[in-house]
Amino acid sequence: MGSPIVKWEGAAEYFTYADRPTVLFTVLGIAIALTVLSIMKVGRHEKESYEKLTMK
Amino acid sequence: MDQQLAELTAKVAALQQSAGMQGTIDIEVYYFWATALMVLIHAGFLGYEMGASRAKNVLASGIKNILAFAFIVPTFFFFGWWIYLAFPGGFTPSADGDAGLPWAMAMGPNLSDNASGVFWAAFTMFAATTASIFSGAVIERIKMSGFVLLAILLGSVLWILGAAWGWHPSGWLLTDWGFHDFGCAGIVHLIAGAFCFGVLINLGPRIGKYLSDGTAVDIPPHNVPMVLVGLMLIIVGFFGFLAACVIMVKGGQWTNIYGQPMTLSAVAFNTLMAFAGGVIGAWAFTRDPFWMMSGGLAGIIASAAGIDVWYPPLGFVIGFVGGATIKTVNDGVVKVLRLDDAVGAVAVHGWSGFLGLMVVGLFATGYANPGDAPPISFMGQLVGALVCFSIGFVPGFIASYCLKVVRLLRVPDEAQLVGLDIAEVPLKAYPESDTAGAAGALQPAE
Repeated sequence: MGSPIVKWEGAAEYFTYADRPTVLFTVLGIAIALTVLSIMKVGRHEKESYEKLTMK
Repeated sequence: MDQQLAELTAKVAALQQSAGMQGTIDIEVYYFWATALMVLIHAGFLGYEMGASRAKNVLASGIKNILAFAFIVPTFFFFGWWIYLAFPGGFTPSADGDAGLPWAMAMGPNLSDNASGVFWAAFTMFAATTASIFSGAVIERIKMSGFVLLAILLGSVLWILGAAWGWHPSGWLLTDWGFHDFGCAGIVHLIAGAFCFGVLINLGPRIGKYLSDGTAVDIPPHNVPMVLVGLMLIIVGFFGFLAACVIMVKGGQWTNIYGQPMTLSAVAFNTLMAFAGGVIGAWAFTRDPFWMMSGGLAGIIASAAGIDVWYPPLGFVIGFVGGATIKTVNDGVVKVLRLDDAVGAVAVHGWSGFLGLMVVGLFATGYANPGDAPPISFMGQLVGALVCFSIGFVPGFIASYCLKVVRLLRVPDEAQLVGLDIAEVPLKAYPESDTAGAAGALQPAE
């Protein structure tokens, strides 16, 4: 990995910003966490919606 | 003289490099646009599924379909592609999977790798297709959270495991059994149909679908024209899907995923003939536009496994049989087994996918496979079909049973009766119409 790209000659992979393992795994972890939390949010939204419905 | 020779050699080298790069980019362009065409499959499933819903559930069905697509993409990046590369030998991962790990150098912009991204994208669209197939079968009563989990299981784990086994040049179904499934009749459609079958058993029917004596009640789509247009869009997207099933070889003849030579012309001949056969077959036996258009889909699926090898009139006949039989199979699922498959996914995808694999075993037995793999055989196709069914059905049944136990599978009856749009969507599909009142008129029969 070698971003930021300051010259294109010889450049191969460029994982912008995630150019060090620590940052890469942090970004990847955040993406995975967002996915998981969003699924949990779907469940929470449903639960609240159905509770509202049964209280009417 | 020596200088001229050196200049000529340099020119030849430059030309070779240029031609090589052009070939690389041609391949990249081909799969990129095939992937773009495949998005139409999802536009089609969206219209199909929303049209097949009652008006009181139309937006909830649409959201569910779009979310399935959206959640498949990151999860397929996180682990789906790794599964494909790592498991062609069975359940033990191989080091080949390392290239598909989300931190691998191939899994991002890379000037020395024009292939990984477009192949990953094409496979991701296949994955999303399996989730969309499942999405339609369970409309109007499945919980979104449970659905998303099941869609990820199907799209980013199960079908791609099946693809590693039977749609990979080193997959054990090919190397041990000579399995042939050019257009994923089994790997995508049978697996997805079997998964639907397993989930429907635990999910149960929509309220009002069955009378107290078990008689099935027809719950008509709220918008048949939307269903028909949706199905036609799926057909358009199928051209991208089937194009992406072909391997473009730099400077050589096209091959299928197994390495057998083929042409795009074969796909063109047989996709159209099978589509036409399916439409005509379904129309002849049902007179129903819903099944007629579903028949087009069934025709292509029934021919898909051998679309690279059929004589076009045979593709037409296979498509005709696929289209002609789906309504009967669906009647068996809905009326005999009492499984409320809202769009006929088990019949259209599961049955047609099974049929597609078996006709290859009947008509293409003996065709050679590359390397040491045995030739195509009826037994190889039967084993493949059983594996595809099992990969879909068993995990689908077990996972949906677990979700049922923890109450993440089925929406409460109150929500079903009032309509999922009113229950959980902060927007009206048809604000100028009292659709909830009209469409919600169907009351429980028991």
